[in-house]
Amino acid sequence: MEQATPTLEELNQLVQMSGTINMEIFYWWCIALMMVIHAGFLSYEIGASRLKNVLTAGVKNILAFAFIVPTFFFFGWFIYNGFAGGFVLDMEAASAALPWSQSMGPNISDNATGIFWGAFALFAATTASIMSGALIERTRMSAFIILAVILGSVVWILGAAWSWHPTGWLTTQWGFHDVGAAGCVHMIAGFFTLGVVINVGARIGRFNADGSANSITGHSMPMSVIGLMLVIVGFFGFLGGCIIFNVGGQWTNIYGQPATLSGFAFNTLMGFAGGLIGAYLTTREPFWMMSGGLIGIISVAPGLDVYYPPLAYVIGMGVAASAPLVHKFLVKRQIDDAVGAFAVHGFAGFAGLTLSGIFLSGYPNMGEGVPPVNFLGQFGGAVVLGLLGFIPGYLISLAMKKMGVLRVPAHAEERGLDLTEVPAQAYPEWALTGASTTYVSTDSASATLVVAEVKTV
Amino acid sequence: MSSPISSWEGASAIFTFADKPAVTVTIVVIAVALTVFAVWATIRHEKHSYNSPMTKK
Repeated sequence: MEQATPTLEELNQLVQMSGTINMEIFYWWCIALMMVIHAGFLSYEIGASRLKNVLTAGVKNILAFAFIVPTFFFFGWFIYNGFAGGFVLDMEAASAALPWSQSMGPNISDNATGIFWGAFALFAATTASIMSGALIERTRMSAFIILAVILGSVVWILGAAWSWHPTGWLTTQWGFHDVGAAGCVHMIAGFFTLGVVINVGARIGRFNADGSANSITGHSMPMSVIGLMLVIVGFFGFLGGCIIFNVGGQWTNIYGQPATLSGFAFNTLMGFAGGLIGAYLTTREPFWMMSGGLIGIISVAPGLDVYYPPLAYVIGMGVAASAPLVHKFLVKRQIDDAVGAFAVHGFAGFAGLTLSGIFLSGYPNMGEGVPPVNFLGQFGGAVVLGLLGFIPGYLISLAMKKMGVLRVPAHAEERGLDLTEVPAQAYPEWALTGASTTYVSTDSASATLVVAEVKTV
Repeated sequence: MSSPISSWEGASAIFTFADKPAVTVTIVVIAVALTVFAVWATIRHEKHSYNSPMTKK
């Protein structure tokens, strides 16, 4: 039986459609991997909570994800497309991102919008999860949801429009380069969180009247450490979502510069390993080591496409070794960031961007008249993004504090939020034996004060 | 009819009511309202929980 020979045009269409579908498949699995970030944050945060707050921490984390996805559909994607130039809306660029546009739903002539929206929605949910852990055990669920929506569907995506978009003003005017979103995701989330943590205040028992600190230990460090490892696994989806799959051409980074996934693999792993070792050197404990791995990746994220891998290793190690000191500095200032979110995300992003100003200087940007990467552009961009995160986080949470809607009442905090708010039990056996323990110890290992509350049912 | 197409030939946007902008806008408004309602319900639940005699024991 004779087979018809396909024409050149038919073959071309076949290759093109095959490439388009491969592109969709690639981002589909990036989205799936990014879901693992949330599984990780869930485990991490639950482990870092005391027994009496375990389920509330879980509910809070899940709700962050749940509220970010629809709100990112309603207005987050619109902000990304409409505000690349600053605060003035470019309606022409944003019109296709309106929630009722023909692109914002199943459309068989558009294979890109949904899959990119999905990846960005997961980035958005990551920013909210970063904040979530810092606020455990004393923040109202409703306040957290509102703050999460503002951070995840407004603030970070405005920063992404400015700094992580081919026509973002930080790139076109200052030459800003941050391929792995250290600035718009991590720094903004970290600085926003810092602003909120200042206003929400410390957990009861965290600090003494003389200003000295007690460590409040979560109920399961293994759960937290495994959670952090899951976050790292999910990061490969996150970073995959930071590179553009061009059908029929080389990968490019988000700014349109040629890049390879191979380059990302070199530097992600070397930064990760450096971070683990750096945190081990200054803390010797697994919680900070795994956080250090994350810090290592974040600190090299701006130059994942071009760093020499041993340099990424050194940067990751140095920043991760320093981050626990930043956390200690906050504790001395009586700022209770329960999981070190500012040190891990805010500080690491800032340090990574500042160092990238030294090491990436001179790399050309795309587009006529766009300056090459330079120190002032990188450092200035980091300052802009830090302020973009901190100012709304601080002011909005301050307003909530004044209205009395930011923090749970003291009696609920002391009794435990699970008992107060959640109609379920995390560990029913504990209820049967009547043991509900709260461990509060001083930071000094040599002088451990343990307070145990034992309640009978 | 919620289908925006009568044939797959030349079809583009195929989501329900894609050819009726007034309906899609209305659905978005309802979805936003439900999201706001969920936040309000959370606030209500908190108030109830914090004032419960069980919690204050």
